Amino acid sequence: MSVALVTGLNGLSYAFILFLLAAGFSLTFGVMGVLNLTHGALFVLGAYIGLQVVDSLGWFWLAVLLAAVALGIIGLLLYFFFLKRLYNKVPEQAVLTIGLGYMFANVILWIWGPRAQNMQKPEILSGALEIGGLSFPIYRIFICGIGLLILALLWWIQDRTRWGAIIRAGMDNKEMTVALGVNYGLVSTLVFVLGVLLAGAGGVLGAPIVGAFPQMGDNLLLLTLIVVVVGGTGYIQGTMLGALVIGLLDTFGKAYVPKAAMFFAYIVFLIILLVRPSGLIGRRIF
Amino acid sequence: MVRRSAEPGRVDAGPGEKALTSGTRRAPRSLIEIGLPVVVMSVIVLVLPTFLPAFVSSQITKMMIYGLFGMSLNIIWGYAGIPSFGHAAFFGAGAYASAIFILKVGITNFWLNLLLAIVATAVIAAILGVPAFRVFGVGAGNTNPIYFLLATIAFGELLSRLAIAVRPVTGGSTGLSGIPEPDLGFGFRITSFRYYYLVFVIVVICLFIMYRVVNSHYGYALRGVHDNERRMQALGYNTWLYKYTAWIIAAVFGGVAGVLFAYYGKTLVPNTFAMITSDIAFLLVIMGSTTTFFGPLLASVVYVGVEYAASLYLRDRWPLIFGAMFVITIMLIPEGLGVWILKLWKKVIRGAAT
Repeated sequence: MSVALVTGLNGLSYAFILFLLAAGFSLTFGVMGVLNLTHGALFVLGAYIGLQVVDSLGWFWLAVLLAAVALGIIGLLLYFFFLKRLYNKVPEQAVLTIGLGYMFANVILWIWGPRAQNMQKPEILSGALEIGGLSFPIYRIFICGIGLLILALLWWIQDRTRWGAIIRAGMDNKEMTVALGVNYGLVSTLVFVLGVLLAGAGGVLGAPIVGAFPQMGDNLLLLTLIVVVVGGTGYIQGTMLGALVIGLLDTFGKAYVPKAAMFFAYIVFLIILLVRPSGLIGRRIF
Repeated sequence: MVRRSAEPGRVDAGPGEKALTSGTRRAPRSLIEIGLPVVVMSVIVLVLPTFLPAFVSSQITKMMIYGLFGMSLNIIWGYAGIPSFGHAAFFGAGAYASAIFILKVGITNFWLNLLLAIVATAVIAAILGVPAFRVFGVGAGNTNPIYFLLATIAFGELLSRLAIAVRPVTGGSTGLSGIPEPDLGFGFRITSFRYYYLVFVIVVICLFIMYRVVNSHYGYALRGVHDNERRMQALGYNTWLYKYTAWIIAAVFGGVAGVLFAYYGKTLVPNTFAMITSDIAFLLVIMGSTTTFFGPLLASVVYVGVEYAASLYLRDRWPLIFGAMFVITIMLIPEGLGVWILKLWKKVIRGAAT
């Protein structure tokens, strides 16, 4: 039982890291129909920028902020120079962003070398919390907290703000939204930047747990895809649900049936495709 | 889906010809227009190895194998409008199946092995096709197979994980090595020099079959599904079955490329299934153009050439160059090399005729 509790926390924190990873992707993909397959590489780039900042300035929070800002700028450049010209051309977007993903990964390798890096946790968040004879690492609890915060923020933006309304309207009928005088171009640019920015911040926040090495982007991208397909796109709560399912399943699987664990995510993925192709909480458009 | 590739027949049609629409039978084109390049290319490829050092003909072998791989993806992408992202699943399935049949089962005959590998690939494609086509068209409307893309990415990875996990059969993460020279039967053993010609013959046979398939009634029905699936349904076509069978056909040819690759490299690693291999096929199709039949073959010449040059001078920066090839293709030559060459060829023909 006690082991299950600790594993549960590990699974939850992993789920929230997956959420941080997939939220940005789901946002750009579900809301704008832009398939950004550089997402995994951008997450890793965020982690490395964070590591660099921590190394030279030694301040974790600044690292999160700077990585987010840097990635936001990269996102803006990506959008203006490349993706804006490929509106509604999904295979082209896929090809372009795959290429950019390889380039980013190789640049990371070029700058920081092939060695896997470990991020030091900030002082205040290291150590463990003792509850009833069980020790829970504080950083993992913190990740859950910050994940919940970001979930709440995105949920609020989606459901309660004018912007969220514009986004949802744009998902239903872009032409009509534009015809009503809404500056949809601005909104979609900002949504894209927000998505990439989230990847950067997520990279830094996740680094103390998952570490960082140049080639991890591909693996992260796959996890993102699985989370997004399982959860369904278009709603942020779908992404959270997908992340929870995959995160908990993976962690418990690894704890109890380590040999088969790596297939659990794929099995769930295939079942979802067969039974409910639009995802657990997805928009049913077909 | 892209509009330009929505009309695969149209690019082939010259300005004087009537623009072809899907479903109509194409009039046989002049013998010179198709026959001449094919014959010239074949002769060049056949004669080349006698002049060139072995490492160059080895690269040409690779070009032919990758060309077949790219063209097999083009059947579903260019003609049926299904941009599958996990084509490496079939390339890897063919390669692994043949390697397992040789090394673990002990079937040394090349032809039997090829046949078994084709069957294995077809079975895997038939299984994976069912969940894949559940999601086709889910997402942003029927013309935007975004969900399908995501789903197929995971297929190749799933198989590569399986290849790592089932260690006794597949050799785990170290893969399989020591694949022997192909045995064609009758005591005729193939050296790596002769392997070039074996690949040539098989690729030519495959291209011929593929050409006949995409230019048959079935092939035009596929283009119809691509252009307007609803209308094809209204005309009484079972469009799901068309897409599903096209998926299996493409998989089989991808599998043949995989078999050739297994004998070519003699070593297989689980990466043969992975995203990187699918990405190569993807690059070949988009670089070669989705609207021409032979485009991916041209692209594979460029791709293998660049890869070889990079392996000599810039080994560490290869992923950067590889990635840049995607970006350059999309930003600078979005219609692909195939269309470009075809236009050039049309000009030459017209110049010669007047």
